[in-house]
Amino acid sequence: MTPSILFGKITKFALNIVGMTGTALPGKVAMIINPDLLLILNSRCKRKVIITGTNGKTTTNNLINHILNSEYEDILSNLMGANMPQGVASAFLNNTKKVYDWGIFEVDEGSFPDVVKYIEPDYVVITNFFRDQLDRFGEIENTSNIVYEAIKPLNTTLILNADDPMVSNFKDLGKKNVYYGVEQTKFSSKTQRVVESRFCPICSNNLEYEYFNYGQLGRYKCNSCDFKNPNYNYRVSEIEYHDDSYHFKVDNSKGQTNDVIFRYDGIYNAYNCCAAIAFSIEAGLDMEQVVERIDNFDYKLGRMENFEFQDKIVKIVLVKNPIGLSEVIKSISNDKRKKSLLFILNDNPADGTDVSWIWDANVEAINDIDNLTSIHCSGIRANDIALRIKYSESSKNNMEINDNMEESIENVLREDVEIIYILPTYTAVFLTRDYIMGHLNHTNARIPRIKELIKSKIGT
Amino acid sequence: MELNIFHMYPDLLNLYGDIGNVTCLKKRCEWRGIKINIVDFSLGNEADINCADILFMGGGSDRGQNIVYSHFLKYKNDVSNAIEDSSVFLAICGGYQLLGESYIDANGMKIPGLGVFDYTTESEEKRLIGNIIIKNKLGLNPKTIVGFENHGGRTYHDYNALGSVVVGNGNNGKDELEGMIYKNCLGTYLHGPLLPKNPHLADHIILTALKRKYDIKSLDVINDDLEYAAHEKVFELYTNGKV
Repeated sequence: MTPSILFGKITKFALNIVGMTGTALPGKVAMIINPDLLLILNSRCKRKVIITGTNGKTTTNNLINHILNSEYEDILSNLMGANMPQGVASAFLNNTKKVYDWGIFEVDEGSFPDVVKYIEPDYVVITNFFRDQLDRFGEIENTSNIVYEAIKPLNTTLILNADDPMVSNFKDLGKKNVYYGVEQTKFSSKTQRVVESRFCPICSNNLEYEYFNYGQLGRYKCNSCDFKNPNYNYRVSEIEYHDDSYHFKVDNSKGQTNDVIFRYDGIYNAYNCCAAIAFSIEAGLDMEQVVERIDNFDYKLGRMENFEFQDKIVKIVLVKNPIGLSEVIKSISNDKRKKSLLFILNDNPADGTDVSWIWDANVEAINDIDNLTSIHCSGIRANDIALRIKYSESSKNNMEINDNMEESIENVLREDVEIIYILPTYTAVFLTRDYIMGHLNHTNARIPRIKELIKSKIGT
Repeated sequence: MELNIFHMYPDLLNLYGDIGNVTCLKKRCEWRGIKINIVDFSLGNEADINCADILFMGGGSDRGQNIVYSHFLKYKNDVSNAIEDSSVFLAICGGYQLLGESYIDANGMKIPGLGVFDYTTESEEKRLIGNIIIKNKLGLNPKTIVGFENHGGRTYHDYNALGSVVVGNGNNGKDELEGMIYKNCLGTYLHGPLLPKNPHLADHIILTALKRKYDIKSLDVINDDLEYAAHEKVFELYTNGKV
């Protein structure tokens, strides 16, 4: 065992004693001792895929893991969503083997160059580029540029979202490209309030859209040059929502078509599924196998995770940027059950210290939600999200503001409703989850609070 | 009573929740029974700037700002006249920089601004990012204005400042001043949703515009408990014992 692995393991052991599962800290420690830890990891994985982009990394990572698990036993992955270099290293410390069939890593856009310095991916999956954490990256063009430049020297296959103009222009890099996308469906719209980029990435003129699926993802073309969606290699179409699930068709350029069922809300998941399918088939799995795995996929760790609490269902959905929040509110309005919402807005470094983004989200769509009994607002910036809701004119709903997260969770669990939606930002996801699990297991729920405190200090 | 708000280039300049300011002005007027007309002024949707009671301009990416600059230049005289005529103008971040003489980018390249004002902005590599609290020089009560800043440019000018910096960087991180005031034109680096958490500033803008148009002296009082709670929270979290 090399010293860096050893020290990382010691840190992990120490954190376990104080009740923390510590997703990134052990990796941080190990990387300080040996910044080349990722090189060791690189040499031990036979094949590697890196998933990057703004939204959908964790879901796509979990989906790909679940699918590849049907074929391969030894997979190394940072499934917990710690997607900076130290998070990738931590995954390794949790599970040190001599050889892995696959390394599957989700990597934050800003950390992408630092990770690919050491890890040579056979595949890079790019989901989308949205405004997120501008306090770290400056502007969205910078974000995509950071990834673009870092891919230049790599010998890799790119799995690209054809419907995001900021992603599809990566074809200019001249790598082997595989395109995925979602056709126009009844969930598409002709207009989109939150458009991140309406300029052609090639010539800067306006892009003209036939329809939008999600943010700037849709069917676009440039009026001045010939830039438009590339032809799909993998395509989702005919999306229907019934029995709490999305049903759609997926086909590949060889003309095979399969029916897919995905049990979680949100049209953005059609893109996540399509990305995972495209990658898995390219990696050599067959379509039937892939589709079956998607059917029996279970979410982990606060991404649309469902709990049954007494006679209620509790859903936790991470929200972290305007597009994500807008889409989540839209998908909640498809649910007609009697419900309560709890927003938890934190401004720790890992959440983004700037909470301005809530004003770019279409919070006004709360008015389209039926049978909404109450709205709870919590987190460090509880007042900010409450204010945003006030200006969306949905103040006719009962609103409770409490910056104590534990109390807010307690209070919302007491509501007489069928379903509770909890929408936390990143650092609040783990606390929320642990706290609800604590309720389910009747264990002392104070430990998560200490964890949360430590987490906010170290900024994991 | 009614007011026309010109939202300048909302499709090109809206980086950090700038739309929140327009939402805030609109709602605060509507709650008082004042009619609001919002004109989205942009390429292909030009309107007569003389009709504006309040002009609002947000920040944008470099690319967005370049597109705006070449289009907006045609309206330089109209904007200048409107400001001299005491129209209310709130220009944020990129909008604030654009009204000046020039912007000198990180490579020393000089990019001309509209030149409505004679200040310059110089870009430096290190961005000034974080929560910011200033004491306003408009005579508003409370004195504090809270917000968030995220800019590479440093602006230097001899106009009155909007406020003095308590926490954060402001115009240039050196002279402890933030923003500018000229007649009823306000420039500031407090980006995005500046007005919702600063209802006294929002109402100052509304009242100034109404005074110019109608013979009124005050606004109806509305409940601002939530607005000030959010304001106070930022103050409590980020003053670090200063003030």
